[in-house]
Amino acid sequence: MAWLVVRLAISLSLLYTASAVFEDQVGKFDWREQFVGKVRFALFDTHSQASKKLLVATDKNVFASLNSRTGDLFWRHVDKTGPEGHIDALLMYGQDAVVVVGNGRLLRSWETTVGGLKWEAVLDTGSFQAAALIGVQDFVKYVAVLKKSAISLHDLSSGSQIWVENLPDSDTVQYQTIYSGGNGLVFVLGFVPSSHIVIVEYKIEDGEIMKKKSVEAAWMSSLENSCAVISSGNLLCVDQITQSLYILPLQSAEHTEMRQIHLQTLDLEVASGFQPVLTSTQPNPAQPPLAEFFLQLSPDHHILLQLKDDLIAPLRDFNPSYLAAFATSGEKTVAAVMTPKNETACSINLFSADTGRRHLDTTIIYHMDPNGGKPNRLYVHAFLKKDDSVGYRVMVQTEDLTLTFLQQPGRVVWMREEALADVVTMEMVDLPLTGTQAELEGEFGKKAGKVQHGLLPMVLKRLSSQFILLQAWMAHLWKLFYDARKPRSSVKNEVTIDTLSRDEFNLQKMMVMVTASGKLFGIDSKSGTVLWKQYLEDIQPNSIFKLIVQRTTAHFPHPPQCTLLIKNKDTGLGRLYVFNPIFGKKSHISVPALPRPVLQTLLLPVIDQDYAKVLLLIDDQYKVTAFPSTKNVLQQLQDTASSIFFYLVDSSQGKLSGFRLRMDLSTELIWEVVIPTEVQKIVAVKGKRANEHVHSQGRVMGDRSVLYKYLNPNLLAVITESTDIHQERSFVGIFLIDGVTGRIVHEAVQRKAKGPVHFVHSENWLVYVYWNSKFRRNEFSVLELFEGAELYNSTVFSSLDRPHPPQVLQQSYIFPAPISTLEATLTEKGITSRHLLVGLPSGNILSLPKMFLDPRRPELISEQSREENLIPYAPEMPIRTEWFINYNQTVSRVRGIYTAPSGLESTCLVVVYGLDIYQTRVFPSKQFDVLKDDYDYVLISSVLFGLFFATMISKRLAEVKLLNRAWR
Amino acid sequence: MTSPGGQGGGALSVRGGATSKRMKWAVELSLGNSRSRSDRQSKDGDVMYPVGFSDKPVPDTSVQEADRNLVEKRCWDVALGPLKQIPMNLFIMYMSGNTISIFPIMMVCMMAWRPIQALMSMSATFKLLESSSQQWLQGLVYLVGNLLGSALAIYKCQSMGLLPTHSSDWLAFIEPPQRLEIMGGGMVM
Repeated sequence: MAWLVVRLAISLSLLYTASAVFEDQVGKFDWREQFVGKVRFALFDTHSQASKKLLVATDKNVFASLNSRTGDLFWRHVDKTGPEGHIDALLMYGQDAVVVVGNGRLLRSWETTVGGLKWEAVLDTGSFQAAALIGVQDFVKYVAVLKKSAISLHDLSSGSQIWVENLPDSDTVQYQTIYSGGNGLVFVLGFVPSSHIVIVEYKIEDGEIMKKKSVEAAWMSSLENSCAVISSGNLLCVDQITQSLYILPLQSAEHTEMRQIHLQTLDLEVASGFQPVLTSTQPNPAQPPLAEFFLQLSPDHHILLQLKDDLIAPLRDFNPSYLAAFATSGEKTVAAVMTPKNETACSINLFSADTGRRHLDTTIIYHMDPNGGKPNRLYVHAFLKKDDSVGYRVMVQTEDLTLTFLQQPGRVVWMREEALADVVTMEMVDLPLTGTQAELEGEFGKKAGKVQHGLLPMVLKRLSSQFILLQAWMAHLWKLFYDARKPRSSVKNEVTIDTLSRDEFNLQKMMVMVTASGKLFGIDSKSGTVLWKQYLEDIQPNSIFKLIVQRTTAHFPHPPQCTLLIKNKDTGLGRLYVFNPIFGKKSHISVPALPRPVLQTLLLPVIDQDYAKVLLLIDDQYKVTAFPSTKNVLQQLQDTASSIFFYLVDSSQGKLSGFRLRMDLSTELIWEVVIPTEVQKIVAVKGKRANEHVHSQGRVMGDRSVLYKYLNPNLLAVITESTDIHQERSFVGIFLIDGVTGRIVHEAVQRKAKGPVHFVHSENWLVYVYWNSKFRRNEFSVLELFEGAELYNSTVFSSLDRPHPPQVLQQSYIFPAPISTLEATLTEKGITSRHLLVGLPSGNILSLPKMFLDPRRPELISEQSREENLIPYAPEMPIRTEWFINYNQTVSRVRGIYTAPSGLESTCLVVVYGLDIYQTRVFPSKQFDVLKDDYDYVLISSVLFGLFFATMISKRLAEVKLLNRAWR
Repeated sequence: MTSPGGQGGGALSVRGGATSKRMKWAVELSLGNSRSRSDRQSKDGDVMYPVGFSDKPVPDTSVQEADRNLVEKRCWDVALGPLKQIPMNLFIMYMSGNTISIFPIMMVCMMAWRPIQALMSMSATFKLLESSSQQWLQGLVYLVGNLLGSALAIYKCQSMGLLPTHSSDWLAFIEPPQRLEIMGGGMVM
């Protein structure tokens, strides 16, 4: 009976919280963008002329097929992260794509039309060196994989291993390349640094070593880029130090030395310090490569050369030229070369590979984005036109990971911003008011402390702004009328940076995203359109970013201002980049130089006379730099210095230290907590979010008394993990420390628990997830802090005056899935109930009501607990598929969830980022402040009008009747 | 409005009314169709009042001893009315229960409103009791009865939890405390 009651209670409570999206709401206020990452291999499907496929393999371990007409994904396979899923090689033949994964661990063949796996073969251990398709008698039948000490040959149609052979002297010789010219032999090329080249010849049928020879090459340092096989088995190498080309026929027995050709004899010279690159092409794996090849002599100098009758002759010199690539269509091989045209544009031209002659009318103009990076890869898709001439399209990849697909004469077919596959941090900024709204606001938006002048000018200004408003309203009406005549489909609301304005409920915001490659994006949160982008050059790959919104759009004549702190991890030095988050333009505000490594930043609620919040930067000598640092700010800082505190957590030393600001912007250490690093190490520290509002100061009990929340804004949650990882002895430690006084408010140890710990610290609660290594399951634990039935001080909160420790309640639950990230919803006033957003590795985002994570959930139901609407305690946490806020729009590799309040109290904006970006709105307590989407306006208005007319008519009738009676 | 003749008759009678100021009296001789003002009061229009007849009742001003007892009794009835309702109210209270839904709320409203209304129109009641000799006692009883009724309503509100007597009722009005310290920081970058 009790069990029945419990279940009934649970299902009733679920009734209240169940909130899934209806079918017709799909895509209404949410969107998803899918990315692949930095392209490492890209191949066009040249199997058939009509094919639109472009296969890419990326550094994010993604193998995908793109539609080359639109840039959309046909399909995408996301492999494991890290070296295990690393894609080593991508080969394509016909309909099949062969991929080597995980440093030569797996060999997979994919069917390219639908992306189905055809076969998979597990390879022997050994680090991967090279893979090649092997053809026999004009048919490509095999794929060869070269490892450090072995070579194996696999059947292309089934994946079965034909043979595997150990390489001779593999401990001294570095084998790096495979070559086969379709004549029944496989050559494996290796070298001993600064000594000689080793060439081993295998028979395809049984892997028998036919020949093995070594050739002197004392200058050799690497085979991979500086050597290439050209024209029926001639190994060609280039060396920068000796400024020469070396050539060797692979098959001939008599040559024991490479023939040296000085570059000087060709009137060429390699730029000093540049490693020259040889690029050859083998259009068909069953046939020998072409005799033509590119030699890159400097970063912007390529030359097309040809080997003919053992002589190397230049066909065409491209100076200057950024990029060059070969492409084949049918029997014709062409070379596309990108040359700079002017400051902002490049031209790409097509040249015939065998003669070096330029094809007429093949120029593509590529306009470089002034806010982007330089182009660094060129992929060419050549095709035969109807008149048998060669047409082509190109895909250009730039340093900032933009893929641009162009066709003649320079039309951008599509563009992909792959930098967004690696978002590091983001913020949401309110959009500015429209010009008209701003005009009105302008009356009040004077500098702080300035006196208003004159009554008459103000009246005139008000009148003129009202007039402008009227004008805008007329224009809006006219536009409505104009659009109404057009068919529905042709009316498209294009979002551009000029038409941006805040909507009624502030639901549309600007998402400012910082990516690991150093590119900043401004994205419209409603549609996902990239409105601005800015590539920051010279960003080290492992830099740390911190994005701070210093001024929002609320202070009209002053533009909003964001500051990005970029810290180089190697040198420790940081710099500030200040920009306008709406337009992406760099501000011309003078930025303080940071000569010393920055340890942390602190955004103060103190504002300067231009309404910018003051940012304090703490360097490694604990000196503070203020930005902006005007006189006004320094004065304010001096006044408030005694109440400004900051804390630093040094994980390597296990030390938490608190500092107080002095008048002269130096600091004094006021507390220190040391957590011995031998036992446990600090993994994460989190305070509360600065923009969080708590509406209710307490919780109402069943007997209608109040349990007041312990709302300490200075509370820090410190999570530690034990250094001992034995499953019996490992533990997770949780410390709640007051950041001002350093007092440990609460301390808990979760035994037999392991990280990674995900946690959310908000209001008066802390929710954390860990792995229970004893029961082998994920567990949620919630800590709630209460002051008790009395508030100590209801007007001000000071950490320095807190005599009573809070009451701490805790409860744990079993969560039936691993999680990848955790965040809580956030609303404007904090009235709406909170939900936890749980990112699952499956790519779903679960919206879990905080109600389920409540340490006051009773084990036995009583009258009072029922009065409080507490759900009876059940150890298992349910996962309901209707709680997935992103239904089937899964987000691969969720790295972070960002929540922002909107202008509606019921609505919280959510952005999930990882490999993909997903934006939606959530309504934790349903949309209590908006009419429903399916609200029956027609019915209501018709009833209203009906009633109105009925009253009018009946009033008239009543009058007539009265009159009649009066006459009687 | 009905027929031209009738209209004329009406006009004639109006003229007669207007001229009645000058004449001491007038006798309407026309029968049937004529509709005079006095006609409207009588249901069938063909009844003629005799001369000197007034259709207003004349109050009987003679007071008798038996009537005085009756008045006293009637006044006590008025004064005890609220008290008599209390058992009935108690029963309704018991029946309606403490759940907050439309019917109990309506009942509580009624219970609370009636005594308040009665107390507001106290002076009118006093006027009613004027003729009684025990006017002040009756007034007091009436007052006490109504006060008891409203106390009962308040008690009902209390037991239904409608009175803001608990600290939780004032929770929404507590402002978040102002923080005195500014704190920030984090892991060493």
